[in-house]
Amino acid sequence: MSTFIQLLINTLQIGAIYVLFSLGLTLVFGVMRLINFAHGEFFALTAILIAMQMGWLLPDAPFWLQYVVSFATALGVLMALSVVIYQFGLSRFLGDLSSGFIFSLGLVLMMRGLIGQIFGNYPMTAPPLVEGAIYVLGGAISTQKLLVAVLALIATGGLLYLVFRTKLGMALRAIAEDQEAAMLQGIRYKRLALYGFLIGSSLAAIAGGLIAPLQVVLPTMGGELIMKAFMIVIIGGLGSIPGAIVASFLIAALESFGSYFIDLPVVTIGVFVMVAVLLVIRPQGLLGHVVR
Amino acid sequence: MLFDKLNLLFLATVAASVAYCLAVPGAFFVQVILWATLAATLGAGIRFVMLVGELNIGTSAFYGIGGYTAAYLTTAYGLPFGVALVAAGIAGGLVAAVFGYATMRTSGAYFMLISFAFAEIFRMLVVESDFLGGNNGIIGLFVSVEYEPYFAATVVAILATLISALAVIENSSLGKSFIAIREREEIARSVGINVLAIRVLCLVISSVVIAVAGACSGFITHLVTPNDYTFMIAVFALAYVKLGGEEHPTGPILGAILLTLAAQYLISFGAYQQVFFGTVIAVAMILLPQGITGRLRDLVRLTAKRTARDAG
Amino acid sequence: MPAETQPLFAAEGITKRFGGLVAVSDVSFEISRGEILGLIGPNGAGKSTIFNLISGFYRVTRGRTVFQGQDVSSLPIWKLARIGLARTFQHDSLLKGMTVRDNILVATTQFIRNPAEREKRMSETIDIMGLGEVLDEKASNLPHGHQRILSIAIAFSGRPALLCLDEPLTGFNQTEVLGGLDIIRRLREEFATTVLIVEHNMRAVMSLCDRILVLHHGKLLGSGSPEEVQNDPAIIEAYLGKSE
Ligand SMILES: Nc1ncnc2c1ncn2[C@@H]1O[C@H](COP(=O)(O)OP(=O)(O)O)[C@@H](O)[C@H]1O
Ligand SMILES: [Mg+2]
Repeated sequence: MSTFIQLLINTLQIGAIYVLFSLGLTLVFGVMRLINFAHGEFFALTAILIAMQMGWLLPDAPFWLQYVVSFATALGVLMALSVVIYQFGLSRFLGDLSSGFIFSLGLVLMMRGLIGQIFGNYPMTAPPLVEGAIYVLGGAISTQKLLVAVLALIATGGLLYLVFRTKLGMALRAIAEDQEAAMLQGIRYKRLALYGFLIGSSLAAIAGGLIAPLQVVLPTMGGELIMKAFMIVIIGGLGSIPGAIVASFLIAALESFGSYFIDLPVVTIGVFVMVAVLLVIRPQGLLGHVVR
Repeated sequence: MLFDKLNLLFLATVAASVAYCLAVPGAFFVQVILWATLAATLGAGIRFVMLVGELNIGTSAFYGIGGYTAAYLTTAYGLPFGVALVAAGIAGGLVAAVFGYATMRTSGAYFMLISFAFAEIFRMLVVESDFLGGNNGIIGLFVSVEYEPYFAATVVAILATLISALAVIENSSLGKSFIAIREREEIARSVGINVLAIRVLCLVISSVVIAVAGACSGFITHLVTPNDYTFMIAVFALAYVKLGGEEHPTGPILGAILLTLAAQYLISFGAYQQVFFGTVIAVAMILLPQGITGRLRDLVRLTAKRTARDAG
Repeated sequence: MPAETQPLFAAEGITKRFGGLVAVSDVSFEISRGEILGLIGPNGAGKSTIFNLISGFYRVTRGRTVFQGQDVSSLPIWKLARIGLARTFQHDSLLKGMTVRDNILVATTQFIRNPAEREKRMSETIDIMGLGEVLDEKASNLPHGHQRILSIAIAFSGRPALLCLDEPLTGFNQTEVLGGLDIIRRLREEFATTVLIVEHNMRAVMSLCDRILVLHHGKLLGSGSPEEVQNDPAIIEAYLGKSE
């Protein structure tokens, strides 16, 4: 029973991170009709920036304050970077899937190379925010994991509010619904697409920031996560917000329960086979519409 | 007109490379020629699937399937080079048929993502497979000693033939069917094209060629490891296509040659090589959306128009 | 039923529902061999939907389609095309980036593999359609009239038994209309092609068709010879009277 609870909490925590990350990816796709491969690098870079700053930026402050401050500066850096990438690059490829993807692959190479050169290609760690564990139904749960899961769920809630309850969100959804009509709006579309891109990128960054105190921070972690996110958006349907949420928790559950009973790589391979079979039956994903 | 000249240039380059490889088999530049040939084949292969409108990031997996098939068969059973190449091609084609049957129902972003996942899964599978040497890979792909002087020339000749075969198919009625599917799938269906089957066929043809190239790559380095076949292979292949231009079959070859030569020069840059490639891809996408051959064609057309106007 | 008296095609109570909208409702009709059958009705009546049902692009919600005695309701599009059921598209009916020759080549190649015979078939198609002058033009660069004719050429390349034309004469001037009608008549006379045509140009439809079906709100309102249709009060009320 306690194992089950632990695995469940694990699912919740991993799933919450997946949700944030893949919602960002799917949102950017919905608004810009392109897949930003550098999404994973945004995630990794934020985590690296936080791990690097902690213990150095405000060495005498408590950990949580250090964390908050480094998180904020890292997010700021990422937003500035996103604006530059959008203005000089991605905005030229709106609606052009293949060119946009290849351009973002170029970005990935640049960023990976530069991150390696500047920060080194070795693992980093951020100190834990809170110590200890909580006991629920006989299972011990790391307080830290629970905290991260809760923060990620709050961030997800914020995004859902933004997308479904605000004017900006409504405009973004309108674009995602009818890309061609949106394109005709010219400048207004380009500005809205920028907002969509910034929101999407910041979700990757927030996910990266939340993961930083939980695990060893590696420059390659963005690449690993983005492959999972690809599976998630295929299962959930590209551009679908509910699809991304459901699929994220599905994959997270398969991983945390699967890796307890079998090997994690076996699970990942199994998920791929499952997705391939799904595509034979439903080429547009579990919850998606046909997108071309 | 311009493209006819590019075809001739291709044949001349191949002839010169083969001659050079035969004349000075041990020279360092022979290695460069081999790398460029592999790169060109990768570019031509990934572009071939672009004829039906898809970006196949799984190209790297088919390259790896070729490399590993050849490595396993030569080291475990002592099969000769030629047999290993054929087996690699068959393995690549078979896997492509199964993978394509499942995934070619999707298109655009979905296919791109699932093919990317396939590339990663292939790498993971290899790492997990003890009989393929796990992370260490397989070492020991050699051609027989008496054959060694002809090896480089043979590789160039075989791969150049395969690249030409791809171009011939592209110009055949089958190739036009590929393009018709990309242009407007509904019309292709309405004139009796079994779109799924033809799309899978396109993937299979490309993958056979890519797998043979992968086998050659194993014989060139004598070693295959999971890290030789990451999705970066596909990224580079796309870079060759985008830089050279995707409209004409010689585009990726040009891109491959230029970037391979640049890489030789950049080896001294060490880790910044990756940054350089990334920058080339990103900048080329912005400045040369049609690639070099596309830009050249536009220039030729423009000049022709100008001369016509000045004359008339 | 012996093959000669059996209709070439029959729609038996076909119905198509899109969510709450019933685009085609319980429609039945037959097409005899060698007939030119018109299908008319106001915009949104469901004509293109019927084409999509016949050619396999949509699946019937209810009912079935029968071609040469065989139930073809669930055949894939490409198989229908190969057994002789071809259609044109109301919109975007060409492979725009390809030359006229390549458009026809792609359409012919599924039916004739032998290159020499294929070449012969293609020249025949090109001759009938009068596209000889523009063979190496990119389809998107053709004038509108040629584009519409090319879309007929594409559908006709497989020498279908039943050719379904969706508004083939839209945007034609008077001379072009006459030319287009002439081509369609020749397809029947020289190749025994059966034709189902949707067209808004009433004069053209009345002069071309042997029989006309009138569709309204997805339902078959009536059918008959051009004279009968023109004089049917219900049809005039629903369609002919209101337009023009
Ligand atoms: N794929 C579809 N999804 C939803 N509604 C459709 C679809 N295709 C057609 N319709 C609807 O079916 C009705 C008939 O359309 P259509 O067959 O195109 O009419 P027509 O060709 O007679 O002008 C219209 O109301 C149209 O909006
Ligand atoms: Mg219509």
